[in-house]
Amino acid sequence: MNSLTKSGLGRLAVAASAALLAGCASFSRDGGIDDVARMTQERIAQPAPLKRDQDTQAVQSEIRTLLSKPVGADAAVRIALLNNQGLQATLADLAISEADFVQAGRLPNPGFGFGRVRGGGETEIDRSLTFNLAALLTLPARSRIEGRRFEQAKLQAAMQSVKLAADTRKAWYGAVAAAQAATFADQVRGSAEAAAELAARMRAAGNWSALDAARERAFYQDALTQQAQARLQATTAREELVRLLGLWGPSIDFTLPDRLPDLPAQPRLAANAEADALSQRLDVLIARQDAQATAQALGLTQTTRFINVFDAGYVNKSTTGAPRENGYEVSLELPLFDWGGARVARAQASYMAAVHRTGDVAVKARSEVRQAYASYRTAYDIARHYRDDIVPLRRQIADEVLLRYNGMLASTFELLAESREQLTAVNAAIAAQRDFWIADTNLQFAMNAGGTTDSRTAQ
Amino acid sequence: MISRRDFFKGAGAVAVSTAAVSRVGAASLPEAVVMDNAKTHVPPLPSTGLPFNPVVTLNGWSLPWRMNNGVKEFHLVAEPVVREFAPGMKVNLWGYNGQSPGPTIEVVEGDRVRIFVTNRLPEHTSVHWHGQRLPNGMDGVTGLTQPGIAPGKTFVYEFVARRPGTFMYHPHADEMTQMAMGMMGFWVTHPKDRAKFAVDRDFVFLLSSYDIDPGSYTPKVNTMLDQNLWTFNSRVFPGIDSLPVRQGDRVRIRVGNLTMTNHPIHLHGHEFEVTGTDGGWTHPASRWPEVTTDVGVGQMRAIEFVANEPGDWALHCHKSHHTMNAMGHNVPTLIGVDHRGIAEKIGRIVPDYMVMGDKGGSMGGMEMPIPENTLPMMTGDGPFGGVEMGGMFTVLKVRHDQKRGDYTDPGWYKHPAGTLAYEWTGRLAEPARSADAGRSLMPATSRPDVKLQVRKPSGHGEH
Ligand SMILES: [Cu+2]
Repeated sequence: MNSLTKSGLGRLAVAASAALLAGCASFSRDGGIDDVARMTQERIAQPAPLKRDQDTQAVQSEIRTLLSKPVGADAAVRIALLNNQGLQATLADLAISEADFVQAGRLPNPGFGFGRVRGGGETEIDRSLTFNLAALLTLPARSRIEGRRFEQAKLQAAMQSVKLAADTRKAWYGAVAAAQAATFADQVRGSAEAAAELAARMRAAGNWSALDAARERAFYQDALTQQAQARLQATTAREELVRLLGLWGPSIDFTLPDRLPDLPAQPRLAANAEADALSQRLDVLIARQDAQATAQALGLTQTTRFINVFDAGYVNKSTTGAPRENGYEVSLELPLFDWGGARVARAQASYMAAVHRTGDVAVKARSEVRQAYASYRTAYDIARHYRDDIVPLRRQIADEVLLRYNGMLASTFELLAESREQLTAVNAAIAAQRDFWIADTNLQFAMNAGGTTDSRTAQ
Repeated sequence: MISRRDFFKGAGAVAVSTAAVSRVGAASLPEAVVMDNAKTHVPPLPSTGLPFNPVVTLNGWSLPWRMNNGVKEFHLVAEPVVREFAPGMKVNLWGYNGQSPGPTIEVVEGDRVRIFVTNRLPEHTSVHWHGQRLPNGMDGVTGLTQPGIAPGKTFVYEFVARRPGTFMYHPHADEMTQMAMGMMGFWVTHPKDRAKFAVDRDFVFLLSSYDIDPGSYTPKVNTMLDQNLWTFNSRVFPGIDSLPVRQGDRVRIRVGNLTMTNHPIHLHGHEFEVTGTDGGWTHPASRWPEVTTDVGVGQMRAIEFVANEPGDWALHCHKSHHTMNAMGHNVPTLIGVDHRGIAEKIGRIVPDYMVMGDKGGSMGGMEMPIPENTLPMMTGDGPFGGVEMGGMFTVLKVRHDQKRGDYTDPGWYKHPAGTLAYEWTGRLAEPARSADAGRSLMPATSRPDVKLQVRKPSGHGEH
């Protein structure tokens, strides 16, 4: 049992810690959420109403209001940011991170021990006052590290929010488009049904062969199958959205608008996209902060040679499919055998590794932005091509076939077949429109958060 | 309207400065006279050459000529033209001197004829003088009797019109394309004796057929037999002029067939005799009375009769599809098909849908928008409503007060009292019908499982 009395060493420690505590953190008013909300809002181009507690009356009533009318894309994002429990978990992690940070900035309480041992007719009373010297000595380092980890946690939370917003948007486009496709499948089925019925009546009147009637009937059966598939697709796409919105129970009975938003009049221009991405992308910011942290650790190592803080910068494991684990270890050693030369070399190498990792992220970010822009621009051109050329042409063809039908130059079946072709073209146009909006979201995500590919090197 | 245009002016391919062409050279070529419309132009009596009784080309005209040292000179220009098939439909064709068919050439037996043929088509051509006796080198068969007339070139044909009769002219160069594009014309060699075979009215026209997709302007030249527009002189009813005659006139109608199928030409109200064929005049002893004569592919027929029955008499090809304009050959029969419920269903997908054909083919005066440059399948109104015909159909109008030489349309015939079919408004007794017609004579061994529904019209409307 260690017993320590107030000694010169103790006084030294108290004096040192007092000096260090001057710059020490306390709990913030918002737990970092305001910063996360600000970073998110800058990147999703709409307010990010992040709350740590989604169960308050105000939040629930806002969600109810948003669900009471047809839910647009912005409203869907807002609901997801308020209601998605995965995001809530991240925000809770942020609170843990802040607590760690605050904790790291505080001196551990001195310990007081009192022992009374009685035996063999003797009673021994042992009193001790303990003070964690190691904690005192490593406090500045730990505080700095936890401060950076808290900043990292904010960036990670912002990343999570932006990604949730993007995923929600994409799911919304998918759900609206799939519902439209299901409506079109209903109409195609109606057209095929009319043709099959007419064919059956022509057969009944003796005007048509079994072959011709069977052909129309077969087409109808195909249309039925397609209708079932389209309906399932609509349900699947909607459920994906429901999951991101964090909804269950009666709240899932919300309605969506009938159609996707129109294409913008002009596509965005690619100017400065790469440069903007480098200053905005959260993954770039995270990598840069990593490098800075490692640089500080390097400086610390060079100064003390005895405090091991490398891990702070790079001990963060990311395993595919698992949450990123961050951590650090600080240990104080007695310099009896090792004077720290190898440790300094290691710190330098770690710093260089962090620098290269940042460069790697930057190269990938630039490439991803270019790729996302190419996808965006192509999707825009295709969607516009459908809107301006293909659909009007199909409409014109259908009109011309109707003129031919009027002149008894074409049959009802040709008319119905053409109407189906027209519906198919409109359906493809909607898919192209959906793909455009998804590409638009991907481009924004590539500009602001992280790419569609994993931009971090697996470790 | 006939317009005379200087051949060298405005002729793109041969446009040369006037200085480059000697006056003698220019003077050696007769004017190319051009027609700019598809009306029937009654030719004047000839002012030069031997006298004859001109024919009237239905919706066409006769080519003026010039006498040059006793030779009758014509100038045909083969060129792309726009022919009006009927008001509302114009067609890109190849023809002669502004129209298709080209102008009728009229000469007299024994005439020495010189025909300048200028080619303004994009490919070579030639002219074959169908049915004529002539020197072999004038027969106009590309490759066999002459080289083709290259674009921009002019060839001269010269021969004596030896045999009087009814003839045609058409290319014998890439003829499948060129005839599908309307390259053809009529030729009449009148007898030297003006009184011989003289009639009061002598009408001529060619039968030609085209495949023109609804909404398009140019024939499909590769169609073999499935043509959709059947014409008298590249006109379709109601764009075909009527044949006005005076009651008691001796009338001759000469018909040439340049389609790829035969046409039974049928005249109402009169019997006629076939007085001429490709080979000339038929022997009077060989003639027999007819009301329909079949004009085979590449054949000519001249029919004659005395128009003594006043009225408006149909004259048409008896193949019913040939008295139709463009129609859908693949439209299924809808007669007797119950459309209840279906029309509404289709209307939801095709908003302007309207049921047609379930009571037959008659469109009952429906006027619905159809493709551009397309004539309704059954069209043309008479005094009692729709005639429900198109294509090879026209009307012989016999009037007691039609003036000699007057070819203007006298309007609709006014039927004297008691000479017009009328509606019976008395009681109708149900006719006796056999319940088992043909049963024992024609036993059906394998009846399909189809309930045949014969809808017998009653007097109470359809539904
Ligand atoms: Cu016919």
